[in-house]
Amino acid sequence: MQVSSIELDSVSKRFGSVEVISELSLTIHSGEFIAFLGPSGCGKSTLLRMIAGLESVDGGEIRIGGERVDRLPPGARGVAMVFQHYALYPHMTVFDNLAFGLRNIGTAEDEIARRIEEAARILEISHLLKRKPGQLSGGQRQRVAIGRALVKDPKAYLFDEPLSNLDAALRVRTRVELARLHQQTRATTIFVTHDQVEAMTLASRIVVMNARKVEQVGTPMEIYGRPATEFVARFVGSPAMNFLPVQVNDRGGLASAVLGDGSIIDTHVPVAALPGGDLRVGVRAEAIRVRPDGALPGKVEVVERLGDRTHLHIRLMDGSTLVAEDTGISQVQPGDAVRLAVEGATAHLFDAGGLAYHARQ
Amino acid sequence: MAASEHIVGRGIGNKLILFSVILVAIMWMLPIAWTLLLSFKPNSELMISTASAFHPPYTIKNYTDIFQSSGVFRWLWNSAVVSIGVTVGILVLSSLAGYGFARAEFKGRDIIFVLVLLGLAVPEQAVIIARHQMFSDLKMHNTYPAIILPGLSSAFGVFLMTQYFKAIPKDIDEAAMLDNASRFKIFWKVLLPLTIPAQATLGIFSFLGAWNDYLWPLISATKPEMFTITVGMASTQTNFAQSEGLGFLMAQAIFAGLPVFIVYLFFQKYIVRAVAGAAIN
Repeated sequence: MQVSSIELDSVSKRFGSVEVISELSLTIHSGEFIAFLGPSGCGKSTLLRMIAGLESVDGGEIRIGGERVDRLPPGARGVAMVFQHYALYPHMTVFDNLAFGLRNIGTAEDEIARRIEEAARILEISHLLKRKPGQLSGGQRQRVAIGRALVKDPKAYLFDEPLSNLDAALRVRTRVELARLHQQTRATTIFVTHDQVEAMTLASRIVVMNARKVEQVGTPMEIYGRPATEFVARFVGSPAMNFLPVQVNDRGGLASAVLGDGSIIDTHVPVAALPGGDLRVGVRAEAIRVRPDGALPGKVEVVERLGDRTHLHIRLMDGSTLVAEDTGISQVQPGDAVRLAVEGATAHLFDAGGLAYHARQ
Repeated sequence: MAASEHIVGRGIGNKLILFSVILVAIMWMLPIAWTLLLSFKPNSELMISTASAFHPPYTIKNYTDIFQSSGVFRWLWNSAVVSIGVTVGILVLSSLAGYGFARAEFKGRDIIFVLVLLGLAVPEQAVIIARHQMFSDLKMHNTYPAIILPGLSSAFGVFLMTQYFKAIPKDIDEAAMLDNASRFKIFWKVLLPLTIPAQATLGIFSFLGAWNDYLWPLISATKPEMFTITVGMASTQTNFAQSEGLGFLMAQAIFAGLPVFIVYLFFQKYIVRAVAGAAIN
């Protein structure tokens, strides 16, 4: 088993006059499962394709296992990629699909057969080896695509939105299988997705990208609990974080956020770190609860019942709206007047430029 | 009620279409049936009247005569060489050009592609004098290359293959690149096998087109031993009644049509699909 780190050193990419990746540096540790997360067009797939060698690199260096690879052709980089639309060879059997890459590098047939047998056993596709991709379901094709990567014993696995073509149930199942596979192989893995749940559940670290730049690199809980920017706070987590404009008062060195209706949220964010100008408080729905003694009055507009919890869309007295969370058996109805208690310790403040300020750890 | 009326209406429509198709088929088949019938009649009877076709005597002498005296075999051979040569050539060149236009990036690609497509708009007759002059200067008339080469520049073939290659997702090429395949290997082992339906369509149309081609072989091949079957058959018609006889001529026509008939029998499925595909596209 080969396991290698991947280093991106000031890499840039231009399409004509548009710079899609600008001076991006990132180190992916050996054996790490890292997710590139971001909306469509943020550059995450382009970055993955640059690592794979399917897009040229206009500036900077890419190293895999310490070896510079950005001038090498894709096949010489020692990586394997699983494509969004599987990209299996339709005219070849599953066996031949898996064998194609190995034959191209002159692997002996008995070694090819051994590796395919092993991969097929892990992925439970042994009974499909003689079929052609057209005779397989979406989930089976996905397994074959993963198998094609697996047999190569690559230095790193690159996944380009591999679950987005699967139905919801299969997506969840495949997600778990990918996590299990990574635990078995401990191979360096890059996983591109626009689905925050996939990124949160699979990755040991997430690279959140937006508008062709990296917003934040961190563990899933860092990304969720201490988002670096407003974009990250809005993009990760469902429902998105609530944002309300506030004035800030100093309360023993910590920021006390005063909302439009005069209600106060006592945050744990140090005042000294805050810039002047407009500020907004950011609070996740689970930090806002309906309580008779809550300080924040509002009126329930929409009730979303999710079974294990209930999301309440609430209009505050100053006209702004937020989403609060209640229990699954919530008795709250649309139109109800409620009082909300906000857990100030988990609140964040954001400046006009979208930069986040957090409580001390 | 409304639904059943609709179904009844559709039934009548279908019958009308079927009737029209049968009518057209009869119109196409009658001359062939007539040719077949006359080919079994003694020439001496046909000299008097073709009305005798409907009653005996019948003979197979016209067919046995083909084996003894006619140039039909030579012409069939020529047609086979020319048709297979043109078909193989078109498939090779159109596939390579189609792959190039669909996948390679080079300066002026789009302009060159438009120029190739302009070839669809230029009738053969417009260039035939210049072409004749060219092959004359090269002293190539009455050779297979002279008859085959002009047929290889198939604008339709290049267009068809370009569109077909374009329709194959680029992911497949990229997966093969990551699988360490060279560019030629990607073309040969991965993409080309995926274009077999288009190759079948193009191959059938090219073969039938080359087999039935008349104008260029007529101009280029002036020696009877280089005639293709179409040119050879036409040459015998000029004096059929006096020398060779109508029945013999008809037997030759049937015999000459056999290869195409056999091709049709084997590739019927593909031909129907090709024609249907061409209609849909």
